[in-house]
Amino acid sequence: MTNQVETSLGIPRDEFLAHVRRSLGRGPDVLQPDVSNPVLQETLAQMESRAEEARRRLEAERESLVDRFAETAQLRNWNLFWTGSSEHAVSYIVEVAQAHSGGQVARSDQSALTDLPLDDALESLGIRSVLVKRGDERTQDSLRQQIVESGVGVTGADFAVAETGSVVVLPRQGLSRLVSLVPPVHVAVVRPQDVVGSLDDVFLFRRLEYHGNGGDMGSYVNFITGPSRTADIEMKLVVGVHGPREVHLVLLG
Amino acid sequence: MAEIKTAQFQSASGAAIKDPILRRALTQVGGGFSEARLDAIDEVGEDVWESWREEARRIKIHALDNLDYYLELLHDRVTQAGGHVHFARDATQANEIVSRIANSRGVKIATKSKSMVSEELDLNKTLEANGVEVYETDLGEYIIQLAEETPSHLVAPALHKTKEQVSELFHEKLGVPLTDDIEEMARVARVTLRDKFLQADLGISGANFLVAETGTLVIITNEGNGRLCTSAPRIHIGITGMEKVIPSLQDLAVFLRLLPRSATGQRLTSYVSMVTGPRRSEDEDGPEEFHLVLVDNGRSRLLADPDLRESLYCIRCGACLNICPVYGKIGGHAYGWVYPGPIGAIVSPTLVGLGQAKDLPQASSLCGACREVCPIKINIPRMLLHLRHKLAESPDESERAASTAEKIAANGYAWLMSNQTMLTAAKKVGRLAQTPFVSDGKVSRAPLPLVSKWTAARDLPALPKRTFREIWEQELEGQGEQQRAARNRDNDIGQDGNQA
Repeated sequence: MTNQVETSLGIPRDEFLAHVRRSLGRGPDVLQPDVSNPVLQETLAQMESRAEEARRRLEAERESLVDRFAETAQLRNWNLFWTGSSEHAVSYIVEVAQAHSGGQVARSDQSALTDLPLDDALESLGIRSVLVKRGDERTQDSLRQQIVESGVGVTGADFAVAETGSVVVLPRQGLSRLVSLVPPVHVAVVRPQDVVGSLDDVFLFRRLEYHGNGGDMGSYVNFITGPSRTADIEMKLVVGVHGPREVHLVLLG
Repeated sequence: MAEIKTAQFQSASGAAIKDPILRRALTQVGGGFSEARLDAIDEVGEDVWESWREEARRIKIHALDNLDYYLELLHDRVTQAGGHVHFARDATQANEIVSRIANSRGVKIATKSKSMVSEELDLNKTLEANGVEVYETDLGEYIIQLAEETPSHLVAPALHKTKEQVSELFHEKLGVPLTDDIEEMARVARVTLRDKFLQADLGISGANFLVAETGTLVIITNEGNGRLCTSAPRIHIGITGMEKVIPSLQDLAVFLRLLPRSATGQRLTSYVSMVTGPRRSEDEDGPEEFHLVLVDNGRSRLLADPDLRESLYCIRCGACLNICPVYGKIGGHAYGWVYPGPIGAIVSPTLVGLGQAKDLPQASSLCGACREVCPIKINIPRMLLHLRHKLAESPDESERAASTAEKIAANGYAWLMSNQTMLTAAKKVGRLAQTPFVSDGKVSRAPLPLVSKWTAARDLPALPKRTFREIWEQELEGQGEQQRAARNRDNDIGQDGNQA
């Protein structure tokens, strides 16, 4: 598909902005208003030092943060399985897969999962494990089809937020946007080092990534906080609409 | 633009108030959301909640006061991320932009996640006229799309429908068996729409927030349809009002804390999806194109009026609807345009024209509950009064809310109330004149033209036999002194029994 998009449809940017400017009561000679916002004026070095401080704080509070995350996540309807053993983690995921996968699991290629001998355990029970991995022969369409046919999607987490009980996923190689979304059951594997305290921590680290990386932090940040739900008919809660109806959290460590 | 029926407010609200199904639904939604909201606030504590509101308000004030700056920054950062930004002066232009993108790329099917702005623009109609099949995918929006209706609440668009009505609708339009099981209805929607998600070339979303610093669009959803719309199709168009911009990613946290708690009492919605540009070459999947359409459509008029600018701080949580005694009786449709309730009564008159919507600012008892619950502390009652003032003083006859007769009556009332002798005389005359119309202490059908307008909908308390002033003069005056005198006496026996 060519990208010969008219870069901008509608009215020209400058005309639109000039109208906004007039509406704000700025004079016609003001083209670039002088806006001082201390947050936006923060330098990369300042951001880095704040991030460093946050990392130290998170490290020092790790244990209580993980406790708090586990507690909040359960309140947000994650099914929690907390284990220090990767064997137990694998058998839990296998159990979920046996109950719900319909013979096929889609999983991302993330570091939290590469350490778990999951594929062999699944295959030995006749459950196919579809690995989202770049560079193989699949087209995007066939990858999507395989995810659609999977009953369970397994992912890692880039952050786990103690404040909200959320698992945060970011775009990376080996992670389809659809694995945590399309299969009716999602399993997220969280390591203690993934846990942060608050939304502010997540956004600080993302800002740092953005500015440290010449203005790119990737195409998405997805917060997942429990199962898909709706109350659109008579205010009655129904769990599982377009996203997973059941979400499992395998907390390692 | 969506059809404007604000001028029919009086007849529409009159009809709504007599609808028992709507009454039941409104009780559910008002009570349910408001209680959940209070629980969520209790959990964090009033002080913390208050500090969040202050912070959010400060951010919105700054962002809107410098909207030109942040829109430019947003434009630059979205472009830098590989997205396209389009500016639309009005609804026609916005619809044209989306249709042109769709047509030039051969789009056949579009899926949409919930967007009030697209309702405002009546975007679906334009796309359909351009040969695009459009599917609303939020369950509530899907229901009202099938029913060919409009949303009646900012957060729960189909709250006015019972499960029986939804079941009949699905039966008729989708050919599925009737059921009274709500889970089954949700399943039907999931199955029907799943195919559409995977076939769609275009996903359309609104935006709850736009982060200028990083060029990021943020949507907050529960069902997962928003994520699917912005992940599965090859093109994603985000369309929203220009006021949604906030300066920094760091500013987002407080809004994520306030919005779900204010809307549904949730601590966080199931999904918060943040999109920055199209998929990168190293991504496994995602849209190849990202477009952001920023819509003015009258918002610059709100921006230009210092008395109304704060209405643009609104984050569409719906808390003011849920608490409002007027919305609670008449529901959303009676307001006659996309944005109902107290905030709608401010926004609509400016966006559709004051003359067409002059009843809306009157549809409030000015009790102030909306201001109390607003997460951004928007002073809605003040703006309602401002609009009423504008309507009273407008040089344009068609904008004036009150008839000449009402004005004369109001002036007469003001004169009477400031003239003791005339007031006393008028009360005596009134007491005699009302006699044939009083029953049970009320006047239920008054003969005078203006008063009869009042009594058509409510009773007027009759003038009492004696006014307070008369009771005071005849019975109570001097009693205070007698009591003081009595306390000063050694004993309290022998007092006169003049205790009414």
